[in-house]
Amino acid sequence: MKRSIFQLLAILALALTPVRATVDDALSYALEAATPYVKEGFTVREDWWGGDLPVGKAKAIVHQLFKGNQYWFWMGTEVAKAKITVHVYDADGNLCEVEAWSKGRFAGARVIPKKTGTYYIIVEVETSDRERTHWAMAYGFR
Amino acid sequence: MTKSLLALALLSSISFAGDPAPTIDISKLPQQSQIVDDVVVPVPSEIFAVLDKLGKPNWTAVLRAPKGVVKTCGNQPQDALYLGVIIAEGFIAVEAQNSEAVKDIGKSVLKLAEALSVRKEVTSRANAIIAAADSSDWQLVRRELDGALSEVRGAMKALGSENLAHLVSLGGWVRGTEALCEVVSKNYSKDGADLLRQHMLLSFFSNKLKNISKQKSLKHPLLPKLQAGLTGIVPLIGLAQDADISAKSVKEIGDITAGLVKAIQTK
Repeated sequence: MKRSIFQLLAILALALTPVRATVDDALSYALEAATPYVKEGFTVREDWWGGDLPVGKAKAIVHQLFKGNQYWFWMGTEVAKAKITVHVYDADGNLCEVEAWSKGRFAGARVIPKKTGTYYIIVEVETSDRERTHWAMAYGFR
Repeated sequence: MTKSLLALALLSSISFAGDPAPTIDISKLPQQSQIVDDVVVPVPSEIFAVLDKLGKPNWTAVLRAPKGVVKTCGNQPQDALYLGVIIAEGFIAVEAQNSEAVKDIGKSVLKLAEALSVRKEVTSRANAIIAAADSSDWQLVRRELDGALSEVRGAMKALGSENLAHLVSLGGWVRGTEALCEVVSKNYSKDGADLLRQHMLLSFFSNKLKNISKQKSLKHPLLPKLQAGLTGIVPLIGLAQDADISAKSVKEIGDITAGLVKAIQTK
């Protein structure tokens, strides 16, 4: 009995390891997207979000932003043929980013909050050759 | 780096192929997206950056540097909260550019991390904090403090102590908010007071405290005090988006959070 539990755990560990590694890979692309902005004085937070999405589905991240700062949100995926997007909405549901870009496996959105409060960051995989595409998002402020 | 994963809400009805929608209906987001299970809690320097733009706060007066290395409290919930407070104090020490305080804080982080069984994971960050303080590289100290916070929470989650990780975040939030109130109270401005408008974080911490209080091994008299403190803050920050947060409210929030920090630091 014990042996079979260990075998099951080993199989589970093997099955889960590549998933984690792929999200980590996605994060490395998100941080790559952030690199030019660090030179502009943005402080990149160590915390980040990640997961996987099918094409055409979006996820919302609820986030506290402070008026007086400006923020960049950077998204990345390890899937070379994917196209991903990130957009920012205020508490009333209005698109509020001052700029946004999407270049294949990288995307970014900049926001200068008009109010301190809750904002919604919407991430989406627009196209991909995978059933589910791993993604990660980091953010920075200055 | 802490892995804040998969705590998000699915928006099956929204698609942004092409141009993004100019508006979305927030009320149609699934209920669970209103308060996500795992939010990225802003570090104090995110708020302090705004205060620095609004004026020239006297950070030295706000700083309450520990006298040497702090002593642990002997129980994990309080040590976790204390660790959060100490890391937040580190961000204040950076603003005050007090390298001796930062070094003591770095050593205190190690001490508290040891009590929480995550010393190994945070050692390199704590050493980097101390080294960066020695060379007055304040930007690096900020980054390493953020990293230490992230590593500690990540290690706790890996150990199955996610609730303790939330207490670290809460301790940091309470001390950061106390410092914010102190700065704003000394030189009140509407924009400064507006930084307290953090309903989502209050709800998040309040919900987490409710869950933590159900866990027998983490029961501690501090937890109901914290819950009461958060409940007391909610009406003071105003629920209406455009309602001003008055100087009186800022002071009251400052008093509440100061009381909580004192309770966390008292054995």
